[in-house]
Amino acid sequence: MIERKNRENKNSLPCSGGLWSEGWARFRKRHLAVAGAVIVLLLYLVAIFAPVLTPYDPVAHGDIPGDRYLRPSIEHPFGTDKFGRDVMTRMFYGSQVSLSIGFLAVALSIFLGSLVGAVSGYAGGIVDAVIMRVVDALMAIPRLFLLLTCIALFSRSILLIIILLGATGWMSAARLVRGQVLSIKKKDYIVAAEGLGVSGKGIIFKHLIPNTLTVIIVSATLRIGGIILTEAALSFLGLGVPPPTPSWGMMVFQGRDVLLNAWWVSTFPGLAIVMTVIGFNLLGDGLRDAFDPMHFT
Amino acid sequence: MLLKVNNLETIFRMARGEVRAVDRISFNIKSGKTLGLVGESGCGKSVTALSIMRLVPDPPGKIAGGSIELEGNDILKLPEKEMRKIRGNEISIVFQEPLSSLNPVFSCGEQVREAIVLHQHLGRKDSKTEAIEMLRRVRIPDPETRYKNYPHQMSGGMRQRVMIAMALSCQPKLLIADEPTTALDVSVQAQIIELLQDLREELGMSILLITHDLAVIAQMADTVVVMYAGKIVEKAPAGKLFSDPSHPYTQGLLASMPGYSIPGKSLPVIPGSVPDPVKLPPGCRFSDRCGKRIEKCFNEEPPLFNLGDSHFSRCWLHNKEEN
Amino acid sequence: MIILKADGIKKYFSSPGSGFFSRSGAPVKAVDGVDISIEAGESLGLVGESGCGKSTLARVLLRLIKPTTGKVFLDGIDFFALKGRDLRKTRRRIQMIFQDPYSSLNPRMTVGNTIAEGIKVHKIVKRKDVRTRVHSLLDKVGLPPAAESRYPHEFSGGQRQRVGIARALAVEPDIIIADEPVAALDLSVQAKIINLLRDLKEDMGLTYLFVSHDLGVIKHVSDKVAVMYLGRIVELSDKESLFSDPLHPYTRGLLASIPSLERGGKKLKAAIRGEVPSPVNLPAGCSFCPRCPEATERCKLEFPPFVTINGGRKVRCWLYS
Repeated sequence: MIERKNRENKNSLPCSGGLWSEGWARFRKRHLAVAGAVIVLLLYLVAIFAPVLTPYDPVAHGDIPGDRYLRPSIEHPFGTDKFGRDVMTRMFYGSQVSLSIGFLAVALSIFLGSLVGAVSGYAGGIVDAVIMRVVDALMAIPRLFLLLTCIALFSRSILLIIILLGATGWMSAARLVRGQVLSIKKKDYIVAAEGLGVSGKGIIFKHLIPNTLTVIIVSATLRIGGIILTEAALSFLGLGVPPPTPSWGMMVFQGRDVLLNAWWVSTFPGLAIVMTVIGFNLLGDGLRDAFDPMHFT
Repeated sequence: MLLKVNNLETIFRMARGEVRAVDRISFNIKSGKTLGLVGESGCGKSVTALSIMRLVPDPPGKIAGGSIELEGNDILKLPEKEMRKIRGNEISIVFQEPLSSLNPVFSCGEQVREAIVLHQHLGRKDSKTEAIEMLRRVRIPDPETRYKNYPHQMSGGMRQRVMIAMALSCQPKLLIADEPTTALDVSVQAQIIELLQDLREELGMSILLITHDLAVIAQMADTVVVMYAGKIVEKAPAGKLFSDPSHPYTQGLLASMPGYSIPGKSLPVIPGSVPDPVKLPPGCRFSDRCGKRIEKCFNEEPPLFNLGDSHFSRCWLHNKEEN
Repeated sequence: MIILKADGIKKYFSSPGSGFFSRSGAPVKAVDGVDISIEAGESLGLVGESGCGKSTLARVLLRLIKPTTGKVFLDGIDFFALKGRDLRKTRRRIQMIFQDPYSSLNPRMTVGNTIAEGIKVHKIVKRKDVRTRVHSLLDKVGLPPAAESRYPHEFSGGQRQRVGIARALAVEPDIIIADEPVAALDLSVQAKIINLLRDLKEDMGLTYLFVSHDLGVIKHVSDKVAVMYLGRIVELSDKESLFSDPLHPYTRGLLASIPSLERGGKKLKAAIRGEVPSPVNLPAGCSFCPRCPEATERCKLEFPPFVTINGGRKVRCWLYS
């Protein structure tokens, strides 16, 4: 048997939290990042509790002429639009649309991207070369034209927009993950797993992807802002979410004719877009600083 | 006496508490002599080097007390501007990893030249001649051609020579060599050791050699200081330390060297591991790992006992008054 | 009985070309014709300086990289000819311990899962017994069972190395290839890991290939020693004769270069001049001859054979032909 002297002290295991809690401690020290997190959290709370937060209906309109284009007041803090609907209510409900499109489209693109990137980076050689050239080719297609064409071909729906935004955004995620995988796959623990006879699938899902997770999360957060902007742009062009479902881009679009007379109709949704994008970017930057792989040993 | 370090204390304020990385250590370096500072990682030997250069990252680190006298002047009291003149001119440092200490976008010769220009007022042409001369001094073959080489075009041993050339460009009185041969192969290590010894004689400088490798210390040092958990545990002339080590930690380290014990047999080991610097044991810091401990070791920290012939040891076993 | 045998292993890497568009320059001959055989229960030390190809050779023996030419036999079975299930079953028998205790463990995996991975892949024990097995392995390498749920970053270098050893032992291998297993550790930790490896060898009847640049470590752990220089084995001998009477000028130089504790007032003289040349443009003759103090005209022109001399020692040098 192994003798006693070959033993580590029972108490010599140091106490400390996991990788996540250390990152969280770093994150909390960054005020701007925390501010970003608070903004994002508030947005999601508003989206979830929209029906509780406002007494009005976002879609139905009585079409009473006296309710149109009311200035901001106690009853209507952000005023009303041309159908007499409460702008704040529509913004609250609009956040549901913007945030779910942002979240789901990014989730889809990150999922596709990390899968393709991890396989490509791990396989290497000819497989990698072919996949990456395909990615390059896809990235060369102007995204907006592709979106416009597809939307023109099919009927407009939220689901279609999510799928389109997701399916056109995975290439950069794939590149990012591939780059990470290329450096991770040289590490000894990957060599050890290969030596143990772990299958390629096992190595990708148990070793490679978990170690790119922080980078994936950070880039996803930074991407959400961009996706929300794209959705707003589509809606502004009249090709986004079909009315009467409220979406921020659509609201800015609808208010543009009366910008001088009823500035509140487009200004408040516009500010909401700006705040959301800033919030997600601050959060993403903070997460990157806190969980950057450079901090790991 | 060239350098007198007196009760030097360097602390680091960490999230988990205050770490006394260097805890009231004192040693002297004579002109033209080599002092070896040896210990395992985390014992405070590199922080000692940074403290002497006054390059301890602040925050979280801070030199909390003591004095460092260079030819009688306490350099801890100097303003930063004066200190900058001392670095490179009077005291230079060579690090373990020459690749990360050299700038990859400049040629090695240019970097040596820059070090020369920084401290001596020489024109472009003169400084280049001087730089080539320095490269020749550190025995780089064909220095005129090598001058134009970039760090990545050189081997580890050559890069370390360039680092030494930069450090010696202004003929410092003290060269601090922090693990200068650790990253090198045995045959190249022997070359660098030989080079440092020759240069020491040629230039009449002193060397503070910091390493974890006892054999390198044995080869180069005149005096050896052994550190453990921020404290000096033994200090002796090199010959004495290796023939007659008196602190149980030094004895344990020497016994555990794989090349010097009976092959095939189990190596004698020091049980346990280095204590957590935030939670040091109350008495002697080595007490929980020591095979010769007595009751007193757990409660009271031993002083450095003078054993005669410039041999000091921080261990209660040498307490003549009681034993 | 010979358990592991390598036959004429060559591994050439294509070096990046100098031009922007050129594919590759002259090949880097990392391993250039190595024959090696290890007896069951033996510990063979493989020593050499960085860039001599020892790590590449280790990886070829593990079938982690494919050699340019040459074969590896495990108990007489051609390792590189195996496929599918047979390969997986054989792969289990030869495992590796790494140098860097930091990059050799997955930072996102608990120590328990790291050790359990191989057990599950090879179905060493029933699923419900995996945990017990992990505990007994942790015990074997001297770690408490509580280590199971911790992540690698919570451990010291020596403790991580123990985890790496437990991972290798988990699949019940016959041969362990240890690539500089103690080079990154402190002296007092080094001694503990060396002792652990020695005890495990006796306990489990393992066969070791011990790769190291440290002659002191090699002297302590191995029965036989192979000295490698620029992709070739230049001397192969039992340990006692190698250290007492080194044959090859390179081995002699290496031994003389080790700083010793007893210096007796003598300055260490560098025994080998110059540095290892790039393995891209090797000299036509003996690859050591540019640095060799005893080189003759013949050494520059002709490549020396690997000759056997007194009592089974082998050396690749014209001095002995």
